[in-house]
Amino acid sequence: MTSLSLDLTLPLDRFDLVVGWGSDATALGIFGPSGAGKTSLLEAIAGLRPEARGEIRVHGRTWLDSSRGICLPPERRGVGYVPQDGRLFPHRTVLGNVLAGRRRAERTSARRLSPDRVLDVLELTGREQADVGSLSGGERQRVALARALCSGPELLLLDEPLAGLDLPLRRRVMPYLIRVQREFSVPSLYVSHDATEVRLLAREAIVLDAGRVIARGLPDELLTATTVLPLAWAEGFENLLRGGVVDAGGGTAVVEIEPGLRFTVPGHGLQPGGLAAVALGADEIILAVEPPAGLSAQNILPGRVSGFRAPTPVGDSDNVPVLVVVSLGYRAAPVLVAITAQSRRRLALAPGSPVHLIFKVQSCRAVTVG
Amino acid sequence: MIASPLGPLLLSLKVALWATLLILPPGILLGLLVARRDFPGKSLVETVLTLPLVLPPTAVGYLLLRLLSRDALLGPEVLGFDLDLLLTWKGAVLASAIMSLPLVSRTARVAFEEVDPRLEAMARTLGLGPFRTFTAVTLPLARRGLLAAAVLGFSRALGEFGATIIVAGNIPGRTQTLALAIFSDMQVGRDPEALRLVAITVVLAFAAVWTVELLLRRRRPGPRAT
Repeated sequence: MTSLSLDLTLPLDRFDLVVGWGSDATALGIFGPSGAGKTSLLEAIAGLRPEARGEIRVHGRTWLDSSRGICLPPERRGVGYVPQDGRLFPHRTVLGNVLAGRRRAERTSARRLSPDRVLDVLELTGREQADVGSLSGGERQRVALARALCSGPELLLLDEPLAGLDLPLRRRVMPYLIRVQREFSVPSLYVSHDATEVRLLAREAIVLDAGRVIARGLPDELLTATTVLPLAWAEGFENLLRGGVVDAGGGTAVVEIEPGLRFTVPGHGLQPGGLAAVALGADEIILAVEPPAGLSAQNILPGRVSGFRAPTPVGDSDNVPVLVVVSLGYRAAPVLVAITAQSRRRLALAPGSPVHLIFKVQSCRAVTVG
Repeated sequence: MIASPLGPLLLSLKVALWATLLILPPGILLGLLVARRDFPGKSLVETVLTLPLVLPPTAVGYLLLRLLSRDALLGPEVLGFDLDLLLTWKGAVLASAIMSLPLVSRTARVAFEEVDPRLEAMARTLGLGPFRTFTAVTLPLARRGLLAAAVLGFSRALGEFGATIIVAGNIPGRTQTLALAIFSDMQVGRDPEALRLVAITVVLAFAAVWTVELLLRRRRPGPRAT
């Protein structure tokens, strides 16, 4: 059964949001720059935009069908909405917030999660009676997530839940989101201007720009599509390398992306035997045409140039960025490396050129994904 | 002989309390309506609600008197029974309540406007209907402001003079409230009695206004880093 089917029009100040999308995947994502209409789309799905026209179907249930005059109010749609700012009820404790949607969960037998279990998975046990004003940013987002999960949602709507947090905190909260997906398998729609987050949390995604869907497909392939690359580049293009953790200890871990291709990453939270996803900025990597020696950087991976991409409109300047597509091994996804047009000429790079990728341990952001 | 101030004081408290109870539900509803809904004629409603604040109280009192007179809209000949408001303490309640309405509805309006509508929207997405959202989110978040509205309404009713004297008269022991008693004492030159009554009203007003200050100040916690 199609888990989500959208055919929506919503007039906004700057443009009309027009989205048509149907998907069977249970982990969906929307990537797009700020102001693309992402939050408005989520609000329309949640029923908070009565002016939205068209159709919304979730798991076979019709939430909106303007042609038949159907528009379910928000309380009858069954969404678990987690906005960027958490939006906790300030007059209630942590537990009071988490149980706010308990009645609906009890009415709908389908997706009833035990609050104890949710609090446990999100490591909020012991904080039940805390005043929400005393929570840290990361705790607030976890409480908002727990509240959404405990309301018996048919669809989780996650609107940039990490965007209000600083980078170290984002790294700490992301594993909770992955864990929630794994433990509770509630269908989710994850929205972010951070492509890496979408790739980590969605199995299928659309790219939204100025109210239109400009691409859809597998998140890993989507971002390098010609229409999407300039957007992904503007938001800071990151490679996402997936592999198994073969060793961990002393603050670092070793990740193997295929037999023989290993590199070292910061080790927090990684366990040997687990699966890791490693984000690595395209401009954090140095390319060398000779085998380098005597470097402080610990990671040197051999590869081969398979092509070039232009992330910005082509210009004459030597400083125009060029993305070099480098294939590693036999199965691993290609890695994009940002260099300047000048460097490309100087190194005489061409498809097939053997290269070495050099990057520091600290340039890698690793999260456990399984 | 110095008359005891206890009679007018108790009557004043009784009148103000009933007036507050009478005007609080419509005052809060009107505040909510103006804060949360757009409807045709909204500015007209707001203006009419404000009128008792700016009209001479005697004008409001006179209008009430005409409304309640024998053959008028709320008079016994039209209603078929006598509301028994003229020259009674209940008439004083009605007059004070009307005079309190602007303060109550305006304070309630501000209280509701300070509730973030996005929190109400959040409650709706969690499965709470409009009514449950109101009782579980809107009311608790507006409670200090609503309490302030009640205290302000009570204080206004306590000091009401002009409309009361026209509707309820100034009958010692029956409709003579503190404000009216001060007037009577002054008229016949009983200065010590008048001063004593004034002192009582000052204490009452001070306590009420201070309570409101505390309520409204505690409502705003220190700014949080977001």
